[in-house]
Amino acid sequence: MNGSVVQLRGIAKTYHIGRDITVNALRGVDLDVRAGEFLAIMGPSGSGKSTLMNVLGCLDVADAGTYVLAGENVGKLSDDQLAAIRNKHVGFVFQTFNLLSRLNAIENVELPLIYGGDRRARRQRALAALEQVGLGDRIHHRPSELSGGQQQRVAIARALLNDPSMILADEPTGNLDSRSSAEILAIFQRLNETGKTVVMVTHEPDVAAHCKRIVRMRDGIVARDELVPHPRRAEDEIAAGIGAAK
Amino acid sequence: MKLYDSFRSALQSLVVNKLRSALTMLGVIIGVAAVIAMVSVGNGASASVQATILNLGSNLVTVQPQFGNDQGLKGAGTQAQNLTLDDMRSIQNQLGASIAATEATAAGQNWNTQVTGVTEDYPTVRDWKLDSGEFFTTSDLNLNAQVAILGTTTAQNLFGDGDAVGQTIQLRQVFGGDRGGGRARILNFRVVGVLTTKGSTFGFSRDDQILVPLTTAQHVLTGRLNIVNAIVIKATSSDTMDATTSDVNNILLQRHNISDPASADFTVTNQNDTLAALSSVTGTFTLLLGAIGGISLLVGGIGIMNIMLVSVNERTREIGIRKAVGARRGDILTQFLIEAVALTGLGGVLGILLGWAITEVVHRIPQAANLPLLVTSGTVIIAVGVSVVIGIVFGLYPAMRAARLHPIEALRYE
Repeated sequence: MNGSVVQLRGIAKTYHIGRDITVNALRGVDLDVRAGEFLAIMGPSGSGKSTLMNVLGCLDVADAGTYVLAGENVGKLSDDQLAAIRNKHVGFVFQTFNLLSRLNAIENVELPLIYGGDRRARRQRALAALEQVGLGDRIHHRPSELSGGQQQRVAIARALLNDPSMILADEPTGNLDSRSSAEILAIFQRLNETGKTVVMVTHEPDVAAHCKRIVRMRDGIVARDELVPHPRRAEDEIAAGIGAAK
Repeated sequence: MKLYDSFRSALQSLVVNKLRSALTMLGVIIGVAAVIAMVSVGNGASASVQATILNLGSNLVTVQPQFGNDQGLKGAGTQAQNLTLDDMRSIQNQLGASIAATEATAAGQNWNTQVTGVTEDYPTVRDWKLDSGEFFTTSDLNLNAQVAILGTTTAQNLFGDGDAVGQTIQLRQVFGGDRGGGRARILNFRVVGVLTTKGSTFGFSRDDQILVPLTTAQHVLTGRLNIVNAIVIKATSSDTMDATTSDVNNILLQRHNISDPASADFTVTNQNDTLAALSSVTGTFTLLLGAIGGISLLVGGIGIMNIMLVSVNERTREIGIRKAVGARRGDILTQFLIEAVALTGLGGVLGILLGWAITEVVHRIPQAANLPLLVTSGTVIIAVGVSVVIGIVFGLYPAMRAARLHPIEALRYE
């Protein structure tokens, strides 16, 4: 399928807890994400959305089914090959930011380039990414010297650095206040407008309403898959006043 | 991942945990310093012993009378009668060209200083030059000339800073001196030379002595004609010592009419053997000291492993983040390994400095001033090499644990 960044077919994943308990986290997921989409994956706890997120991000490998990411079948790759895929194709944004506290903003942003990709002009590219998220004046601040919203913006800059096929955000606004959440969503929307593919896992309908398409998970399968006719504009909500985003 | 980045990450994490890094490193520092200092002491002792032996003269083969147990001659007051000046002359004549020099020594006697009767080649055999004057000659020996050579300390004591050569000293005759209450004969000796300063051997000053012709000592001082205490032969080189030793042995066996070498009435010792025996002793000593240092280095290594395990545990989340953005197992392994090696390597360098400082301090202790402490480049290379290897060995397990972490579990770790 042309234009597909992600192609999942019959993805299944089972966890074993202890000796007897097995959890069928994913039970045959089919999903296509095309380039330039802004997709929300929703669902209650235990619906399998976290597992799906891990599989999408190549942090975990499905037990069954095929997963083609940016034209590569990643189903049967070794740990190191998966690491290379993550480095090249996936930009992670986590709920808890996951910045390295010892490094300053620009060093955190540079991190993916340490492990692969074009190493030249590392600093310039990190600087450009930070400017893209509006933090060009905070490059030498450590995470502890930045607000939550600013930390998440550093994380987004880090996710952008290797120009990945997909930005994968796991509850990116979960630890942020309304104002910061709106700012982060505005950044995602702006990136999406420039052609970036964004996949966001969230359980908040207000957040998901900013996406173009919502996939709802239930009991390990895709329960509903629908387009959002009129996604909310985070920039407008910021202009309208603090807190309007939620 | 470039090595540069690995180094940077490793050093950064060491700098962040300054106190912890320093304390961990201290284990290695003390270990390496202990090895360096201990081995230096060992090497120093070994060199000191060797220097002492060689100070007596080099390439020496010594013949000494052997007291046979069955002869019942052991004990106080017995004097060996079986080595003679003729033996020495015979060795000299027969081996002539194949040896460097030969010397015999007659019973020395202590008054305030040691008087020793020696033969004319003494300076050659002992590698001992004269500060002033001339050594006595064969004709002095033939004439029982009453001439003497003084050690520097003796000359200093007797004549101060003045020139001793040409002066007269008086020596008392030993035999008959105390016999029957008779008066001891006092004999005049003309000083013909003064030896250069040699220092002391095994605690005895070799500069406080008087050398007289062997025959003179026998005839006019001790009265024990022809008998010598030792014959010392100088081989031409260290390589010919074994040949010289057996030559001397054969000559003496023949002269003494002894067919069974086991019942020889003399012993021939070879300086090489003495050195070898002593260096095996000092080598064991050095090894023992090194082992003590090695144990503390091992303890330091275990400290490294301990702290690296703590560090890996603490930074589980960091490992997860790095893996999420594309770090391979090897990248994580390298990072932690470099961290461990940086700890031990830096500890090793500081340990060398500390060890060297310790030897310098020991140098300044008066009692140890004579002990040359040798920090050799070999010791340093081994110490650094061993500490780096310890970093790898003890850092490997923690680094492998870090590398094997599953990214999801690592990211979830609180």
